[in-house]
Amino acid sequence: MRRADRGTGTERPVLGRFPRPLRLLGYAALLGFALLFLLPFLLQLANSFKTDPDAAAHPMTLLPDGGTLDSYRRLFGLAHGVENVPFLSWLGNSVLVTVLVTAGRVLFDSMAGYALARIAFPGRRLLFGFVLAVMAVPGVVLLIPKFLVLKSFGMFDTYGGMVLPLLVDAAGIFIMRQFFVSVPREIEEAARIDGAGTFRIFWSVVLPMSRPALITLTVLSFQGSWNEFTHFLVSTQSSEHDTLTTGLAHFVSGGLGSGTQYPLKLAAALVSTVPVAVLFFCFQRHFVRGANSGSSKG
Amino acid sequence: MPADPRLRRRLREGAWGWLFTAPMVLVLGLFLVLPIAMALWVSLLHWEGQSNPFDGTADFVGLDNYRRLFTVDGLDRTLFATSLRNTLYYVALTVPLQTVLALTLALAVNQRLLRCRGTLRTVFYFPSVTSSIAVSTVFLFLFQGSGAVNRMLGWAGVKGPNWFADPRGLVWLVLGWFGVDQPAPAAGGPLGLAWSEWFAGPSVAMCTLILMAVWTTSGTFMLIFLAALQDIPRELEEAAALDGAGRRQLLRHVTLPALRPVLFLVLTLGLISTWQVFDQVYVMGKGAPGNTTLTPAYLSYSSGFDNADYGQGAAIAFVLLGLVLLLTAAQRWLLRERDGAPGPRSKGARRATR
Amino acid sequence: MATSRTLAAAAVCTAVALGAVTGCSSSGGFGDSSAKQSSGAGQSLTVLIATSGEAETAAVKAATADWAKRTGNTVTVQIAANINQQLGQAFAGGNPPDLFYVNSDQFANYAKGGSLYAYGEQIPDAADFSEQLRRAFSHDGRLTCLPKDSSTLALAVNTTLWQRAGLTEADYPTTWQQLADDAAKLTKDGVTGLVTAPDYQRLGALFKQAGGWITDPEQTTMTADAPGNRQALEYLQGMMKAGSAKYVAEVDAGWGGEALGKGRAAMTIEGNWLKGAMAKDYPNVPYQVLPLPAGPAGPGTLAFSNCWGIAAKSRHQAAGVDLVKHLTSADQQLEFAKAFGVMPSRTGALASYAAKYPESKAWVDGVAHSQPPVTVPGFNQVLTQFNTDLQSLRTTDPATILAALQRNGEQALKNAR
Repeated sequence: MRRADRGTGTERPVLGRFPRPLRLLGYAALLGFALLFLLPFLLQLANSFKTDPDAAAHPMTLLPDGGTLDSYRRLFGLAHGVENVPFLSWLGNSVLVTVLVTAGRVLFDSMAGYALARIAFPGRRLLFGFVLAVMAVPGVVLLIPKFLVLKSFGMFDTYGGMVLPLLVDAAGIFIMRQFFVSVPREIEEAARIDGAGTFRIFWSVVLPMSRPALITLTVLSFQGSWNEFTHFLVSTQSSEHDTLTTGLAHFVSGGLGSGTQYPLKLAAALVSTVPVAVLFFCFQRHFVRGANSGSSKG
Repeated sequence: MPADPRLRRRLREGAWGWLFTAPMVLVLGLFLVLPIAMALWVSLLHWEGQSNPFDGTADFVGLDNYRRLFTVDGLDRTLFATSLRNTLYYVALTVPLQTVLALTLALAVNQRLLRCRGTLRTVFYFPSVTSSIAVSTVFLFLFQGSGAVNRMLGWAGVKGPNWFADPRGLVWLVLGWFGVDQPAPAAGGPLGLAWSEWFAGPSVAMCTLILMAVWTTSGTFMLIFLAALQDIPRELEEAAALDGAGRRQLLRHVTLPALRPVLFLVLTLGLISTWQVFDQVYVMGKGAPGNTTLTPAYLSYSSGFDNADYGQGAAIAFVLLGLVLLLTAAQRWLLRERDGAPGPRSKGARRATR
Repeated sequence: MATSRTLAAAAVCTAVALGAVTGCSSSGGFGDSSAKQSSGAGQSLTVLIATSGEAETAAVKAATADWAKRTGNTVTVQIAANINQQLGQAFAGGNPPDLFYVNSDQFANYAKGGSLYAYGEQIPDAADFSEQLRRAFSHDGRLTCLPKDSSTLALAVNTTLWQRAGLTEADYPTTWQQLADDAAKLTKDGVTGLVTAPDYQRLGALFKQAGGWITDPEQTTMTADAPGNRQALEYLQGMMKAGSAKYVAEVDAGWGGEALGKGRAAMTIEGNWLKGAMAKDYPNVPYQVLPLPAGPAGPGTLAFSNCWGIAAKSRHQAAGVDLVKHLTSADQQLEFAKAFGVMPSRTGALASYAAKYPESKAWVDGVAHSQPPVTVPGFNQVLTQFNTDLQSLRTTDPATILAALQRNGEQALKNAR
């Protein structure tokens, strides 16, 4: 919490402390809220270790009564006798798509962002206006349109159709462009005088300087493509292309016929949250920067 | 080759510029602009999803799909009006609730003498980064008829409703306690939906979606507020304190006015995103019970993929697109002094990240 | 010159990317002609089913594996979470499974859209399937897909609660009046006389008993707004106002079987799927299945079925027909009946079923005076809306509900033509 750019004096609040009873009340309220935000995850964790009847009868207990690993066994295909969930295939698809999309976005978004910020070329203002306009188009209105275009290209229900349309995103370009605008020009000019070409400057001079922005972009792209649902919903149909989001959604919203199986569903949801959670705790401030770019789709 | 070196350099720059932006132009053009154009055409067709909609045999119906949403009395219009009604209540409750909660949390977490500020911030923000599908799964579990939420309500002596199976509107539910029953739907409301339906309020099932939206988005907006709070010049607060302003006056006359632009930003971002709710609806009931969780985005999807009426689905999508663009235009106009682009990109934004 | 070489390389990359995207369009875009048919052994078929549970999944897998072994083909059984949505997307996407369950309410949509391969004429003993079911799954007069099984509705009674209310077997209701009287006597101490799901798939039986139905038999005219239907809804509304009839949600249950099993309902209206569910979830709750009481126009119930659809775009149509013949054979149908409680759709097999399971007699007998479902393209939405309106039956004038159904249905019929 220390801020080096300001004197320690500013840590002092403008007004004195709250009177003690009020302060305690405030702490209690905040603690209550924190519990409210945490409890769903705790209950999810606890119930994923219960048996079906136990979870139905005692959804509130945090310590399972003689917990069981059955749900996790079924997820990872280790259970015998009962139907396994094709969870590993979902996981594999999610990883594949996320890696490709993240790599593509980091490269293409920063290229486009750099061009929009730095290279003087005819049509630049037009393209930047285009990016701003595209950012305003909500994903959910593109459900039928995307299906139509993928179908026309013969890419429906293929990995190509899942990955290619996500390779560039306007919000990422916007973040990168804003970053490159704020970088001083002098170093580039120096490199140019040394005879480096545009691509060399971008690749060996600008990109290495852009680590913070690139990490932010990587983190946001990873989170975005890992959690992506609507695009995969309309770009695939067969179960071998299910990702964690579409697989889980189909599983959870299925008919009542197959029983509720909440421990299994909760375990699947939990495991699918873990990668993003790990990323979040390692790179929290980059998530925060993403939120503050004001462009997160909320 | 032109001899003028400056001209040559400009040409080369131009080529590089377009080369660098080529992937963007290609992908956004092929998978965003082109699909929108295709769907605009399909929204003028009666297309059942089987034949090729782009050859001459397509069944062109002009603006019929749009007319069926607004002027032709029938099921399509009733469903569309119902989805608008549901979303209006969803927006009207979610946006103020999440804004107030986010602001409160931001003010609290911004207290300089608070212990564990970082931990609390993490806790409040974490739900925002998880996938909507995973969170919906958890909420389905928590809000079952005999689930955790109703157990907790039970401890407080309240008999919780059967959340996801309860289509009763809140307004009629409350009026019912005073012996006023919902009247039979009479003809005559706007878009063919009876007034008693328009004023029914969000259903009990919709309330769970609202709670979930507030829970998952407050963290993001809290961070935006936090960044703005840290941008308020200290001198301003100190001067006010010297003038003898109390805590409440400081909040009212210094802090809140300074937050005004960010408040606009948060409100409009909330408005824009709540109109698009889809994932949660898909997982948590697909419009059931009684169409009270139906939203325009889901209706568009199900008209196409469930009922094989892709023209109608595309038409709904374009109405929704128009609405969202209108809101976005309003947002950019409201925040126009901020360089036409939304978002506080100030020192505070970066400082809030540490 | 270094820069121009990079430039050229980048240009080539872009061209390749463009080519990759457009090149794909040669395969399977819109409007590709009908699929090439495979023949002989070694074909690989995909079967998409919506399952009621692990018993059904296992039974279907076993049955298809038998056939695969005998014929030298392979069959993959996929489980759909939401079969209507999945099939709709698969048809539009042009890559449907070879064989799949078709819901009666979606049948017309698929058949009209040309998604189904009409193979009825290749079934030599098609006449063994009940006339009504064959009609329900015919399009343009051609039997398009074979009924997989059949189900009807009956009245299920919790016998413990029955005796506790001082009633005997002689009191089993056979008329509407008796049903209302019994329900009133049974309603006390947290028990509701009659509990049912709020949808036309249950309440529609009352229409039939009052001499009405949603459409005329040819499904060309709406007959929803008619005296018989109004009488049926008014009858139920009367019981609701008296407190002796409730919907499942009002007693905290998801469906009729749950209300019956948990002892919150003394009577419910359900189909033969009740048997398997009760055995699994409430094995200790004794119950009796009775024919639905007769209304002013006599006895009546509803018939349901799924059929085995074969995709028009399947490349294994001949093998698919052979597989359907195997799956709908009398022996196999009785096997399915044993595994997960469905009734055979063949009249011959139905007789063996009735002899083997006397406790299911009421359901079997129902077939004789049952109403098949509405199968008009676009009617799915109309009926969903009707179900929504039925939820507020207690406080809404039946005439209003039926008028809305009449209006919406007429529009759907007009669009279907």
